[in-house]
Amino acid sequence: MNATFKISSKVNLFFTEVGDVTFFAIRFFKQVFTRPFETKEFLRQCYLMGNRSLLLVGVTGFILGLVFTLQSRPTLMEFGAQSWMPSMISISIVREIGPVITALICAGRIGSGIGAELGSMRVTEQIDAMEVSGTNPFKYLVVTRILATTLMLPLLIIFGDAIALVGSAIVENLKGAVSFQLYFNQVFEALAFSDIIPATVKSFFFGFAIGLIGCYKGYNCNKGTVGVGEASNAAVVYTSMLLFVIDFIAVFVSDIFFEI
Amino acid sequence: MKTMIKEEPVLELKNLYKHFGNNKVLNGFNLQLYKGENLVVMGKSGSGKSVMIKCLVGLMQADGGSIRIKGQDITSLGQRELDLLRTEIGFLFQGSALYDSMTVRENLYFPLRRHAHIMGREEEAEKWIREALANVGLEHAIDLMPDELSGGMKRRVALARALILKPKIMLYDEPTTGLDPITAKEIIQLMRAIQKTYGTSSLIITHDVDCARVISNRMILLVDGVNYAEGTFQELTQSSDPKIKAFFK
Amino acid sequence: MRNSAPEKFKLGLFVVLGTALLVAALYFIGNRQNLFTKNITIYTHFRNVNGLQTGNNVRYSGINIGTVAKTVLLSDTLIRVEMRVGEKLKNVIKKNAVATIGSDGLVGSMIVNIIPAQGTAGFISSHDTIQSYSKIGVNDMLTTLNVTNENAALLTSDLLKITSNINEGKGTLGMLITDTVLASQFKQTLFELRKTSEGASQAMSSLNEMIASVNFSESLAGVLLSDTASGVKMKSIVANLEKSSEKMIQVTDHLNHLLSEIEEGKGTLHYLTQDTTLVQNIDSTMQNIKSGTARFNENMEALKHNFLLRGYFKKLEKEQRKALKKADQN
Repeated sequence: MNATFKISSKVNLFFTEVGDVTFFAIRFFKQVFTRPFETKEFLRQCYLMGNRSLLLVGVTGFILGLVFTLQSRPTLMEFGAQSWMPSMISISIVREIGPVITALICAGRIGSGIGAELGSMRVTEQIDAMEVSGTNPFKYLVVTRILATTLMLPLLIIFGDAIALVGSAIVENLKGAVSFQLYFNQVFEALAFSDIIPATVKSFFFGFAIGLIGCYKGYNCNKGTVGVGEASNAAVVYTSMLLFVIDFIAVFVSDIFFEI
Repeated sequence: MKTMIKEEPVLELKNLYKHFGNNKVLNGFNLQLYKGENLVVMGKSGSGKSVMIKCLVGLMQADGGSIRIKGQDITSLGQRELDLLRTEIGFLFQGSALYDSMTVRENLYFPLRRHAHIMGREEEAEKWIREALANVGLEHAIDLMPDELSGGMKRRVALARALILKPKIMLYDEPTTGLDPITAKEIIQLMRAIQKTYGTSSLIITHDVDCARVISNRMILLVDGVNYAEGTFQELTQSSDPKIKAFFK
Repeated sequence: MRNSAPEKFKLGLFVVLGTALLVAALYFIGNRQNLFTKNITIYTHFRNVNGLQTGNNVRYSGINIGTVAKTVLLSDTLIRVEMRVGEKLKNVIKKNAVATIGSDGLVGSMIVNIIPAQGTAGFISSHDTIQSYSKIGVNDMLTTLNVTNENAALLTSDLLKITSNINEGKGTLGMLITDTVLASQFKQTLFELRKTSEGASQAMSSLNEMIASVNFSESLAGVLLSDTASGVKMKSIVANLEKSSEKMIQVTDHLNHLLSEIEEGKGTLHYLTQDTTLVQNIDSTMQNIKSGTARFNENMEALKHNFLLRGYFKKLEKEQRKALKKADQN
């Protein structure tokens, strides 16, 4: 009896949360197109999220390309198919690994940052202070951040992909004596629009998810200082989960449209 | 507005209800704030003082009752009118609530950014900011970040920010909490000075008896969600009611 | 008031660079698909496109010139392949050029090869249809070769049995000579062997002809082979095959000659004195045939492993297995 009650209340909580997030998202869409626009804050957030994450994304992407190539080489060499390395690496990086890894890193860096920042602003009444100062805090804090993550993440992913491919090309160059020109020739030989476009569209959704969950958790934080930690933690956990769900749906949908 | 009749309160709460689940925080609370007076609302922690003041500026929705500020019922106002009305209210938050990511200058600029019509021209902003900081004696801190300030300085900057639009009504939420007695006294002196300079009406929420004694013209004791007792500091300290006596021990 | 100039500059740089990267990637991909150059469309028809897809490369004598735009099933045995190639090629490809379908490397995707043909013809223009050539012809040829090979192996084993009989012959050559049944059997066997060898030789020579034309790089099969870069290997296999079958014919002739001599009974004594030599002769001849056939088999095996034809042999094997299974079930 107790157990069923627990489960039903958990289920209840889950749906309440999902509904809450949905309302939050609707609120975002209602406010994103109405004046006044917080352009300066939006640009500042873009800078903080885009430029400041670039180093992290770049280093991770580079190592990813390096390691991925090193690990795949022996297997492909067994088949005598090492000349397929560029195609294989580029397709898997551009389609899947690049976007997902970059998004996960950004969920960790940006998502938790937003969760903690808005959470602490909430508990120290800074959000209330904004409200009474005649600035719509939702617009100023939430809309700008969600918009910034949505627009910056695709760019970060493009940089990440490019840097990962450079890393991979270096390995191929050193180990397989493949020139950079040949490597990238083969990369573009292998890639098709149906690889890049769905991946880019998908990354907008990734960015939106990171911003949305981070802001939702932070904006609705309400248990004092403990709540801030929880908000930041929950932002990362739920965002990561949501990223995979989005990824699954994206692959599903692009499957239908592009008949991969 | 200056022609307003003395008897009409600038701020009036009638039968305010606010429940959180089964917890009846406000249970028919009444309050009138008249022009130029310092009204202190005292109550234990968790008695609903902060909830009351947040309902007052529209940060929370009351479950019942009416809130009238300068004759306007704020629950019936749209966002735009509410924002306009809020420019006439200064709010000092409990923990100062300075924006961590902004310098003092930017903190003070924040209330101005959407209300350029009050200060006339955008270029005036710097002048206004400096004036507000001068009022609290912190002109030198203009380019510092909030985490470089001491607790007392933060409170003063927050006060400057609340005052920058020259509001007619000031709301203080626990203005002295978290401060040492000397700094607290400084803040109280500052509040009085401001009240004199600008002739504002102030509503002060506190559980600090010293603060209440120094600043109050009139007091309301908030117990169990209602205005349990009303009167001057003197009157209330002489009361024989044990519930009232408990406040002044 | 909030955003400093360097921050704005850096953000701008970030956005511009990121967008430029994306656009560049899209451009390079589009470029490969000839989306940004002027194109002409040409058609060809196949019976079987072997999994050719939209977007696969079209090559002219090995150079990428465009992509497959569409494959349309016209009827139950006819598929129209629409190809988009650069407009510049208008002054290169002639109307009598021939399209074939091949695969790109070991496990690569399918490609369409356009090969110039001999003779003169005008240049193609947009919406022209060019001829196609199906590699199924090669498959057929190899089927014949395989059957020939199996026959040869069968006959050789027959012959071996006979020679061992002669060898064991319990010392009596007379038995061999008088045993008409055996003799006629022997004769029959030899006849069959010759026929088979001739068949093999024929198939070989036709294959060889084809290979020879590789040198002139004017034949379709020539391009087919040179395209996959294993022409040389294939050529040597075929040369080997030919050598084996020549040897087989030689041996068979030799045997035939001997047999007729025996039958004609040219001096019994002569044979008696020559008895062991003869037997040894026959024996070594048989050995030769055997090794010849073995090599033939080897060559066939090598052919089987040639990836070009692997698919075909795999299919054959599968069918055989299926037949066996069926037989088992029955």
